Amino acid sequence: MLDSIATIGRFGNFSGRIAARIMRRPLFLNEVVAQMWTTTIRCLLPVIAVTFPFGMVMALQGLEIFRLFGAERMLASLISIATLREISPVLASVLVAAQGGASCAASLGAMRIKEELDATEVMAVDAIKYHVVPRVLALTIACPLLNIAGSVSGVAGGYFTAVFVKGESGGIFMAELWSFMGPMDIWGGLIKTTVFGLAIGLISCYHGYRASGGAAGVGKAVNDTVVHSVVAFITLNYFLTSALFGSVSP
Amino acid sequence: MTSVLAGIGHYGLWLREFIGATARHGMPKGQMMAEAFKIGIKSLPILLIISGFVGTNLALQGYNAFKPLGGQRLVGMFVALAGVRELAPIIAAAMIAAKAGTEMASQIGVMKIREQIDALEVMAVNPLAYLIAPRLVGILLMLPALTTLAIFTMLTTAYMVSVHQLGLSGHEFLQFAEEAIQPIDFFYGAVKAVIFGAIICTISCYFGFNCGKGPEGVGQATNRAVVTSSVICIVLNYFVSELLYGGAL
Amino acid sequence: MIELRNVSKSFGGKEILRDLSLSTPKGKTTAIVGPSGTGKSVTLKHIVGLLRPDSGQVLCFGTDMATAPEHELYAVRRRFGMLFQDGALFDSMSVGDNIAFPLIHHAPEMTAKQRRERVLEKLKAVGLEDKYDATTSSLSGGQRKRVGLARAIVMEPEVVLFDEPNSGLDPITSDEIDELIGKMKVELGITFIIISHDIVGTINVADHIAMLYGGDLIAFEPTDKFVRLDHPIVKKFLKRNLILPTGPNEVARLPSVE
Repeated sequence: MLDSIATIGRFGNFSGRIAARIMRRPLFLNEVVAQMWTTTIRCLLPVIAVTFPFGMVMALQGLEIFRLFGAERMLASLISIATLREISPVLASVLVAAQGGASCAASLGAMRIKEELDATEVMAVDAIKYHVVPRVLALTIACPLLNIAGSVSGVAGGYFTAVFVKGESGGIFMAELWSFMGPMDIWGGLIKTTVFGLAIGLISCYHGYRASGGAAGVGKAVNDTVVHSVVAFITLNYFLTSALFGSVSP
Repeated sequence: MTSVLAGIGHYGLWLREFIGATARHGMPKGQMMAEAFKIGIKSLPILLIISGFVGTNLALQGYNAFKPLGGQRLVGMFVALAGVRELAPIIAAAMIAAKAGTEMASQIGVMKIREQIDALEVMAVNPLAYLIAPRLVGILLMLPALTTLAIFTMLTTAYMVSVHQLGLSGHEFLQFAEEAIQPIDFFYGAVKAVIFGAIICTISCYFGFNCGKGPEGVGQATNRAVVTSSVICIVLNYFVSELLYGGAL
Repeated sequence: MIELRNVSKSFGGKEILRDLSLSTPKGKTTAIVGPSGTGKSVTLKHIVGLLRPDSGQVLCFGTDMATAPEHELYAVRRRFGMLFQDGALFDSMSVGDNIAFPLIHHAPEMTAKQRRERVLEKLKAVGLEDKYDATTSSLSGGQRKRVGLARAIVMEPEVVLFDEPNSGLDPITSDEIDELIGKMKVELGITFIIISHDIVGTINVADHIAMLYGGDLIAFEPTDKFVRLDHPIVKKFLKRNLILPTGPNEVARLPSVE
């Protein structure tokens, strides 16, 4: 118990050091863009590969309920609300944690073990500023970008099953989709994923930066990153959903 | 693209080797229950937290989706269908991949780069049978149990949100939930869990066994294990669902 | 008893062993020396069947390790013991369990008490009798090698292979390991094959020395003859002023063999 309080304290301290350095110039923007680019590219396919079938499953199970009372046309609204608000932000973040966060922890951890971070400091370059801050920023930006891809692919997956597999009308699906989707659905997803991306960035860099104990330590950093990030944003998600979409009060 | 195909081919050959080795050498004694216990205990807290929150979210979103129809009363049905059939198996699998899968990949990767796998070979102990078989059995025993646990956690938190936060009738919630799910759904959930468990375990161990040099090799193996196994599970989930629930059977 | 016949092996188009033939005498200690990246470890891995050659034969106790099916391979390996570079101890087990590991798998007829006695006997032989219950992470580099050696001899093998017994050790610990190998050699009287790039320790322990250079065997002589060889590279190596490259990629930079 004391241990986890100490961990939270160290994590807060680490996040504070990062925040202080984001404010100060230089920001190593090239590094940010490079990191962001690799994260986005490497996560893009997994995000699409996961959200598309999820959209398909929603259509499959959703139709079963809606057909009970002849309201198949409502399917598009269920899929768009669920995908834009919940499924895509959460799934995109899970994959950013598993792919981007994990590889961030792995590379920082390896740099720690191979004393590259110490070498950076010895050469009078701020290791947190040069190696950590760009990674945190990159993940914070990449996560909402990937959420856009995930939203589109999730809705497309739903459309695919509803129209091509289950024979619903494509025109009605699209019409319902446009009439139900509000700007808040899109903004809500983007706000959520920005918060999640920041959480992943901080958590993965924290574990990578503090890795110790050889190759096994790097493996543990990756493991902890994925687990802690997922717990963090599933918990955050509940509160963000309540706050953003006001569904707390009926 | 060719590298993906080559990877699949390589994995297939490796899998065949593993099955052959286990058939020849059998299961090492006394390891299986220890592995099952480790997998179950270590993944339990995170699974409870996450399935709990997913349950609350399901209730909120179900309420939102059905409100325009005047179908708020159907939240129980929605939670039961979506939770039992899809989300519980997927979430249990994703958590096992994140917790136990990454641990398998990194443990075996460390053993590989520190020549412990070679040492097993030289001591005439088949590393595939010795290291993977007990983990596989452990995960196959635990994942269906964890999936069932996730189902009940989800239903409980969804019930609490529906009744206390959304003001729905608890009696109706249970009635609709009961109507929506049949005992066979639990069995199907276990079927999914067994498939996902086999995938997570073999893929994670595969990446561990093919781990590159040094600390970055282990990091990369762990990273690839969790991404690949969770993506494959979710993609496969659709086809399994289509097969079990989509009328194809 | 261990014989390599015309063994060739390439990795990714790069030839590491070129038509290598080598036969190690029974009951003696043979050292295979040479700079890093010249195929010493690859040779060792061929002997235990961890690698299979592209062409040629690797005969151990009359079994061709190049083509033997798994069960024959394993039968041969039970007669081997091997000390890995960093010990290759299992981190999940205590020191005692590590050493008992081969016994558990290959001598099921032994009782737990007999196993414990055997393990303690071997631990004593390597001078670590008080470490039975220690975790592997509490061991120093030299101690890891000692435990690795105890594990290698616990099945009372006919051949013990040493992969760079001196690597990663400070000079004093390194000397201690050499002494231990010398003592084991006298006590056990079995065949030792040592891979090393450390010439001093090798000369003290080995009966025969084989030198690999760029994938070729350039010398294989009894130790007393080897040290007086009139071969430019052997002489260079003996004087220890050959710049030792650190990885296979740097072999290309070595001066070529005339």
